Amino acid sequence: MSTAQASAARTLVVEDDPHLAAGLAENLRAEGYAVDTAPDGRLALTWLRENSCELVVLDVMLPHIDGFTLCRTLRAEGNNTPVLFLTARGDPQDRVLGLEAGGDDYLAKPFHLDEFLLRVRAILRRWEWYRKASATPQSAVLRFGGNEVDFRAFRARSWNGAAQDLTEKEAMILKVLAERPGEIVSREDLLERVWGYDVFPSTRTVDNFILRLRKRFERDPANPRHFLTVWGVGYRFLIEGGA
Amino acid sequence: MKRTRVFEITALLLVIVSVIQVGWWVYDQHDYSTQKLQDARSSYAREIAAAQALLAAGTPAEHVHELLPDVAIDDGRARSSGAVDAAFVAERHRRINQYAWESGFFLLALALCVGVIWRALRAETKVLQEQDSFLALVSHQFKTPLASLQLSLETMAKRQLTPEQSRTLMERMLADLTRMESMVSRILDSVRLERGRVDLKSEPVELAAAVGRVVTQFEERARQERIALTADVPRGLVVLADPLAVDVVVRNLLENALAAVAAVSGGSVTFTARAVNDEIELSVRDSGVGFRTTDSARLFKKFSRLHPGGGGSHNGTGLGLFIVRRLMQLTGGRVSAHSVGVGQGALFVLSWPAAPRQSV
Repeated sequence: MSTAQASAARTLVVEDDPHLAAGLAENLRAEGYAVDTAPDGRLALTWLRENSCELVVLDVMLPHIDGFTLCRTLRAEGNNTPVLFLTARGDPQDRVLGLEAGGDDYLAKPFHLDEFLLRVRAILRRWEWYRKASATPQSAVLRFGGNEVDFRAFRARSWNGAAQDLTEKEAMILKVLAERPGEIVSREDLLERVWGYDVFPSTRTVDNFILRLRKRFERDPANPRHFLTVWGVGYRFLIEGGA
Repeated sequence: MKRTRVFEITALLLVIVSVIQVGWWVYDQHDYSTQKLQDARSSYAREIAAAQALLAAGTPAEHVHELLPDVAIDDGRARSSGAVDAAFVAERHRRINQYAWESGFFLLALALCVGVIWRALRAETKVLQEQDSFLALVSHQFKTPLASLQLSLETMAKRQLTPEQSRTLMERMLADLTRMESMVSRILDSVRLERGRVDLKSEPVELAAAVGRVVTQFEERARQERIALTADVPRGLVVLADPLAVDVVVRNLLENALAAVAAVSGGSVTFTARAVNDEIELSVRDSGVGFRTTDSARLFKKFSRLHPGGGGSHNGTGLGLFIVRRLMQLTGGRVSAHSVGVGQGALFVLSWPAAPRQSV
């Protein structure tokens, strides 16, 4: 992300420790971001319902509403703002919990300032790419095999007329694949483009998301015609459908 | 741990005794049914045959009955007596009874042992879980000021700062260090108090002087945070307690009240005291964030945090009120917390035994 783009990005820091909140806000401002802060989960939820931002830096152990619950609530309400969890609970189980709650990345306290800023930039870069890639009316909608996906609304209608609410990750995977129809896209490439570098321990995660997309959009998920597996490499997406 | 070991050994001995007993039953029953019972039956059959032979040889039935009283004689024929059959049946019943009672006793004893061991193991597991949870919470409590400290240092290293910004960061770092130092002291205090490893005195303490000393130390901070701090403690109220414990308790409650009021951007903290029967009550009333009525007991548990900031940057270990309650318990006093709800302020009441007049 360029400096100009960064300066436009608005972030919300949800942290109950006043020193840490102040330190994070000052550093984000120094990088050119606009920053708001909230000292607890309840105030953060109220703020996010009334305002929009490009990134939420979210502590997990917060008064009133904890970070995981807040993130789940946002996702259930259709709010797909990227979330970077920042917490003292850094074991792998908590990491997975955070990502399952709908978080985009997870950083354990104490952390290095540069790493924090790197992750913020990485999340914003991914979302900037997604927004740009869905900016025009042509690129915002994908039609294949009787399915119709609206990337901007994170909604879709499948071949049987069923309405589908896509998660941010499903939409991003679909977008990466749709950008390169007919080409082989490796699992590593999907991981890098959608999640970043070391967030997930395994490329199996990508496979699970592809299974979910097949269930949503394939007439026969066991014999896919659009989301094809290329054994040992990754996936190939076909708009017209193939065997 | 030692208790569990004793129970384990007892249960093991009981199992060994039970196994030996069951082994003995099997041997005894086998011996009885294959040897003794067969011997008794064949011996009795021989008596009947001998009685029949005597009768056949012309021995009068009365003589035969005298010689072999267990054999019944009817119309010159010898046959088995009902009493002997009844004796065999009675012996069988006696054995069944014996097995039932003895095995019942052993099963009961085993069940009791298993129950006691299960309870002991459960208690042990709970202690281990509490230790794990304590360590997890302690590490969590430290990670936040540590993260803040690291962030401040790295900010100083990375950015070009104005002198004012540098001073702000240094003040922040010093406050973080103070916070961590305070946490260490409180954690050590709480561990000592929890294990009862404290030597507390019981001597007359003049309450007005004790409260006054603490209040004086916090007046400047209260002024900075726009908090009206007043102490209306009449002279002459003397409690029977440990002077250091009174100081710690009053200090912790005052820090807690100041943080609660600072969280709502100012207000008041007031100390009042009175004698009630043989006790002396000290009340600390604040106009701070308060708490839900249902949280009044939870407040005194370790690491409970009820309002944002965990009581502000000076406090926030979640141990202050735990220490207050434990110290009050150990010095024969009580503490209670009251609030009508969030945003409605709070009242903490400490009660100590009044010192006898002659000891004043």
